[in-house]
Amino acid sequence: MTTINKISKLALWAMVMSLAVNKVNAQTTTVDSTLLNRISALEQQVADQKSGENHFMVAGLTTFGYVRNKTTFIPPGGIAQSQKTNSFGDADHYELSPMLMWNHGNKFLIEFEPSFNGNTLGVNWANISYFAAPGLIIHAGYFVVPFGIYNKRLAAGWIDKLAVDPNGIGLPGSDFGIGFSGGFPLGDMKWSYDVSLTNGLQLLSDGELQNAGIVDNNKGKMVSGRFSLLPLSNSCLEIGVSGLYSNAGDAGSRFTSADVTMYSADINFVKTFQPFLVNIKGQYNRINVTRQTYIATTDSSAYSFNNKTSAAFGQISVRPIGVDNKLLKNFELAYRYSNYTTPQSSTWGQNLYEHDFGLDYWITWRTVLKFTYAHSHSLSTASVPAGGVAGITNVNSVYLQFSIQL
Amino acid sequence: MKRFSIKGNTLMLVVILSGLASILIMSCAENAKIAAKSGAQLWAENCQRCHNTPSPASFSHEQWQIIGLHMQTRAQLTDKEKDKIIAFLSQ
Repeated sequence: MTTINKISKLALWAMVMSLAVNKVNAQTTTVDSTLLNRISALEQQVADQKSGENHFMVAGLTTFGYVRNKTTFIPPGGIAQSQKTNSFGDADHYELSPMLMWNHGNKFLIEFEPSFNGNTLGVNWANISYFAAPGLIIHAGYFVVPFGIYNKRLAAGWIDKLAVDPNGIGLPGSDFGIGFSGGFPLGDMKWSYDVSLTNGLQLLSDGELQNAGIVDNNKGKMVSGRFSLLPLSNSCLEIGVSGLYSNAGDAGSRFTSADVTMYSADINFVKTFQPFLVNIKGQYNRINVTRQTYIATTDSSAYSFNNKTSAAFGQISVRPIGVDNKLLKNFELAYRYSNYTTPQSSTWGQNLYEHDFGLDYWITWRTVLKFTYAHSHSLSTASVPAGGVAGITNVNSVYLQFSIQL
Repeated sequence: MKRFSIKGNTLMLVVILSGLASILIMSCAENAKIAAKSGAQLWAENCQRCHNTPSPASFSHEQWQIIGLHMQTRAQLTDKEKDKIIAFLSQ
């Protein structure tokens, strides 16, 4: 009897244990799947937000295509001379620019964009940004100088609606220095600032300005800044004003006293009027260089001129994004007018205007095939005795361009 | 006759703009309507001011975070705008 009781108790205990183990196993299975998913999500969050974690990515862009030109030069009282050229991407219309970005923690971003452009390998920017506080980013290194809206935001091939850049908008380019920028809400509106202190521009021997960013040629520095206001609550309109001041003469040269002042106003309007997305952009630049004496290359005589340059463009593009036809909604029509007036009586004086007509097809949001027809007319106002060339130059160009952001 | 002074006018411009900036910074605040905007709405409003609106599927969450910082330096997005847009694109 005792033995039977023992065996019964042992069997009962085994059954209870067996049930308990099964129950635990069932709970473990249920808990495991939800808990592990949660742990995985938390680990991802921690990995993304962990201070000091380095993240790295490569983006960038490339643009290539075909261009066909017909240039007609008409000398004063002479016979028109024409020249035709055609080529695949050249120095102005080919670009491969990988952009390397390192995100160090949540406060630092390092950006480096080398660029193969035609026959040269250059650098568009190489700088570090420190996100110091809400509305305050401090950047240092080699960066696009804040001036106007085109160079910093609209010039990339996969953004630009047309295959060519507007004339005379390239200055001041990129430069070495430090800068501060940020954006703030203002009730229904928004405003932003972007200012910098950099080495500055260089005045060349004929009075033209060399893009910033090569060699610091004097003790003076360049102050530049852009302030913008977005007055509408849906941010569809942006109005910007820019100013720049720089010593430009080489130290020890006859241009020591040369100063440059630049002003700019820009506008950016993007809004959908069903079924069309309407995109309007414009910029006006004014460049003043203090009066200097220059030496003619023809006979080494001295000459002077009022060194003031203006450049402006206005463009509109329309895309039927609201239509049902998938093919049609990817097309975009664009038109740009640009004007570029350089100093009269210099060796490079001209009054130039250009009309650009474009038809784009957006393969994806960042991949575009562009067809652009451009016509420019330039009337020389150059000083012939100083070495300039008088006459009228007309250029008709056709571009077929592909651009992609990587 | 007094000569037009570029340097003087530029300094004056800098002083005026700095004053204006100070006033703006002191009064910076967004109203309730702006604060309630979703990441999707901010994405639609801000990105297309310069380029087409990006597809959320184009990049990973980690990459969007880097791109968000990059775009903040380019387009001077406010911090809240950047955070909401990246949260939307990372979904």
